Parts: sequence; C-alpha cells; structure tokens
Amino acid sequence: MAAPAVPVAVARPARRAGAGAAASGPLARRRRQIFWPFLLPALVLYLVFFIGPTLASVWISFHRWNGISAMEPRGFQNYLLLLDDSIFLTSFANTMIILFGVGATTFAVSFAFTMVLREMRGKKIVRSVLFFPYIVAPLVLSILWGFLFSSDGLVNKAWAAIAGGTGPNWLSDHLFLIVAIGLVWINTGFYTTVIMAGVDRIPPELYEDCSLAGATAWQRFRYVTLPLSWDVVATAAVIWTISSLKIFEFIYAFGGTPNDMPTPEIWNSALFVYGNTFGNRVPQFQFGYASAAAVATLAVIIVLVVLLRRLMRREAVQF
Amino acid sequence: MTTTTQVVEAAPKARRERQPMRAAGLALVWLLVAFNVGVLLWMLLAALREHTAIFREPWGLSGFGEFGNFVRAWVDSNFGQAVLNTIILVAGASVVVVLVCAPASYVLSKTRTRLSGATAVFFAMGIGIPVQVIVIPLYSLMQELGLINNLFGLFLLYVALSVPFTVFLLTGFFGSLPDEIEEAAAIDGAGSVRTFVQIVLPLARNGLLTALMLNVIGLWNETFIALVFIQKPELNTLSLSLLGFLQTQQYAGLDYGTLFAGVSILVLPMVAVYVWLGRRIIEGLTVGAVK
Repeated sequence: MAAPAVPVAVARPARRAGAGAAASGPLARRRRQIFWPFLLPALVLYLVFFIGPTLASVWISFHRWNGISAMEPRGFQNYLLLLDDSIFLTSFANTMIILFGVGATTFAVSFAFTMVLREMRGKKIVRSVLFFPYIVAPLVLSILWGFLFSSDGLVNKAWAAIAGGTGPNWLSDHLFLIVAIGLVWINTGFYTTVIMAGVDRIPPELYEDCSLAGATAWQRFRYVTLPLSWDVVATAAVIWTISSLKIFEFIYAFGGTPNDMPTPEIWNSALFVYGNTFGNRVPQFQFGYASAAAVATLAVIIVLVVLLRRLMRREAVQF
Repeated sequence: MTTTTQVVEAAPKARRERQPMRAAGLALVWLLVAFNVGVLLWMLLAALREHTAIFREPWGLSGFGEFGNFVRAWVDSNFGQAVLNTIILVAGASVVVVLVCAPASYVLSKTRTRLSGATAVFFAMGIGIPVQVIVIPLYSLMQELGLINNLFGLFLLYVALSVPFTVFLLTGFFGSLPDEIEEAAAIDGAGSVRTFVQIVLPLARNGLLTALMLNVIGLWNETFIALVFIQKPELNTLSLSLLGFLQTQQYAGLDYGTLFAGVSILVLPMVAVYVWLGRRIIEGLTVGAVK
C-alpha cells in the first residue's frame, strides 16, 4: 500500500440530532445483533496476519532461529549484537537520515510549494502532476532515477553539454544522496496536497488583515499559516514517520550486481531485515537476529509517534 | 467523502507580491511539473527505441520505432504471464478485501460503544506496523500452510495486509452516512442484513470504489511481499518480472529498450487510472490527514 493516511484520532462520527434517540430503538437493537458476524471476518484476518505475527516477531527476536531447526533462547543477545554490527548501525543511521533529513526537506519544499500554488492559475493540474509519482511503483521510479544518474545517463549528458567534462560519478560516489533526493521527489506531491488542504481552510480575511497591517510574507507564514495549519502538519508528520520506515523497493532496486542487493552503505532497516533473511546474502535466514532489528524499528516508530503527538499537541487555534 | 479543498483566493490580487522569492518558487514548481511529465514521456519514447541508441544519446530520438521491445518484453521475459498473474491477483484481492472490510467498517462506524471505538483504533494501529516487522513470522506461517510459491498464498497475504487501511478508510465513509434512511428501513421491517446490502452499500458506493481503487493501486505496485514469497518465475507478478529482468540483464549490459518497455507495461495502467480517477485517488489517500 502506498503510505496510507494514518488516523491520528479515528474519526468518530459526530452525533447528529436523532442519533441519540435511536440508541435504544429497533435499529440499535438490530445493529447489536449483527455486530460480531459483520466484524469477525476482518478481525480474524487482522489478528492472524498482523497482530499474531507482530507478537511472534517479538518472541522470535529473543531466540536464535533459522526458520527450520528448534529455536534457542538467547535473551537480549540479538539486541546486543545489533549494537556491535556496523552494517546495522549504518542501516539504522540511514533510516534516521531518511526520517529526519528527507522528511524535513520534503516538508520545507511542500510548504514552499503550498505558498506558491495558493495564488497560481491551474493549481489543480499542477498538484495532480506533482502527486503522480506517489502512486507509481517505487521500483519503477527507482529504475528511472538510476538511469537519470547513471554514468552516461541523462544528467551527465546534460552536464557534459552545459559544463563540459564527464560529470560526477553519481551512483558510486554519492549514491545515498541520490536516493535521498529521489525520495524527496516522490513524496513532495503528497505532502504538498495534504498541507495545502490544511492551508486552504484558513479564512482569507486573515490574510487581508495581514496585508492591511503590512506583514511580510515571512510574518504571514509565521503567524497565520503555520499556527492555523498546525494540526494538519502534525498529522502529516506522523504519516511520514510511519511511511518512511516502510521504504524498501526504491532503495532495493539500486542493486549492484545480479541477484544481489545494493551495497549495505545505503541500506535502511527494512533492507537490513531482508538482507539477513531472504536476500541471498551470506549469512541468510537469521530469523532471530533480523526480528530483533525489525522489533527495534517498530519500537522507534512507537516512541516517535507518541513523542510527535506530545510535542505537536499545541493549543488548537479556533477559527 | 470529506472534501476540504475549496478554491480560496487568499491574497487579494491587487496586492499580489512580485518578489524574487515568489518567482523562484514558481519557477521551481513548473520545473518539477515539467520534470514529472518529461520523465514519463521519455520513458514511453525510450520503450520504443533501439537500446544502443538510448545509450549513445539518451536525449535523442534516434533508433525510434522499435516495437520489438514490447514483443521481447512480453514473450522472452515472461511479462505476458506476469501481467495475467498480476491482474487476477490484484483484482481478486482488492474485491475480496473490500467485501470483507465493508461489513466490519459499517458496524464499527454505526455502533457507538466504547468497544467499537477501541476496535476501530486497534485496526488503525495495523497501518503503523511495517511489513518487515511481520514478514518473518508470516513466512513460517505460510510454510506451515504449504503456501510459499503459491499464488493463492500471495492472494491471501494481499487481502490480509490490506485490511487495516481499508477498514480505516471505510469506517470514515460509513460514519458520514445519515442514520435516518436506515431507521426508515428498520421501521419498514427490513432486517439489518438486508438494510446493509440493499440500502447502505449503494449509498456508500463512492467510498467502496475509492477503497477498491486504492487497493488496486497499492497491490499493483507491491513488490516486497511477492519478492519474499514467490521464487518461481512462472508465478511472478509484474514487478517481480521487472526486477528479475533488471537483475539478469546486468550480466550482458542492460537492454534498456526492453527494460523501459517492461516499465511502461507496469506504469501505463496507473497513468490511465490516474487520469480517469485522479481526484478521487488523491482525496482517498489524503483523507486521514485532512479531517
């Protein structure tokens, strides 16, 4: 799934007049009868394929296991080993660089685009075009992006035509940077759309007040736009946190040699899990060890989402 | 469907600031728009060019008219079989997941008890669990069931993994439907199942279509799960075939023409869907952020 929207508060339908009156009427009684039969199929699937495996992952992470022979209990050994594993530390650092670095860049660009788009003709079309990469397979974007920056790809041909010389060797010297820029490119459209929807709800008369008071563009942004779209930005930050940790294919397709994964220097924690299990790399099928890495990632998500929601819970501005 | 985007002319036109910053921003926006459109066009053109020509002059158009790329991709690289697998899988899984999630979302949104509220949040938590966290236990589970290297197994995974997001999306939709019509149906003596099938589902048609569409897009592009659970070439999905092609070709110098033909086969349906339903897709994907 392309990173889906994340409920920051699952919307409870507002009680309409009359809803209360029906709470004990024939309708409510009937609804109570169908509650479990209607809910069960989805709930069973969810428990068996999501919640069960999540708990199992935590359990497996405390063992040595190759998926076939018996599990050997190891306590926290896997987690301690991770801290000594330079590949894991690199992967984890990359994950964080993507989360914070790519995230901050994406949000900054999205805000800038929102400001520009608000007052421009044809913004709907522009927004749709910017959004498009978000629904294309990351694998495809990765192939195109890789070709753009390959040693005699489009970028370097253009470089040679404009500046002369052969151009930098992007994919061997600056691979992670290229990946990071690519991620900004893919995600900008989505976050621009989200932030724009928040900004569009701000009453225009506030901006008229601003221009009467002679506010600069920065003051307008700082005192009107940002505070009034804050809740949307906070939600978008949670969405980004979750979806950035799921990034896999875009990095994976920068594979170096046939049937091998890309260099561990650009792995994130998702690639690390894959590389230690199914990725045809030696040693493979280290299920316990990889689970520990996955659980560590999940722990980071939980901590960050809780923190984000704490930090960003400001006084809601009424307007 | 919550539409919050209204065209608001924010700053009065008379006082539109003409600053270098704005001009720069505008230029950047148009540059990116041109880039996105350009990349897409370039990809389609490259898919029809002879591959040494692409390599020699990526910016040019020499060697154009090579329809053999598509034939080669379709036949030699098994994209044909992969397209068939993917269409069946994606269509089946998307329909089934909506069928499974719609009743659940309906009772979650309409039963206003603490239990249903907590269950809705519980489902939504699943959106935050990255697939790499659960892939290892899932692999063991599927091994037990004998469903590794099995398209039905992949179908099952696709359905199950789409549940949290679909429930979340549909719960919002059903919540926005008025109660009065169901009350009228109940008073007229329709049973709750019948009310749901004959009255609620047709009313929620837009929401169901959006959910279906977003699942189609997500599963069409899915690579990771297929990569782990499918190793037989004849069971490949489209993205796996493309990945396989990318990897086997690197021995012999990449045949870019055929590669981009394969890429086009994967992307063009998405372009079509997007042109057709773009607004709905955008709204569906951003609905959780913008309440």
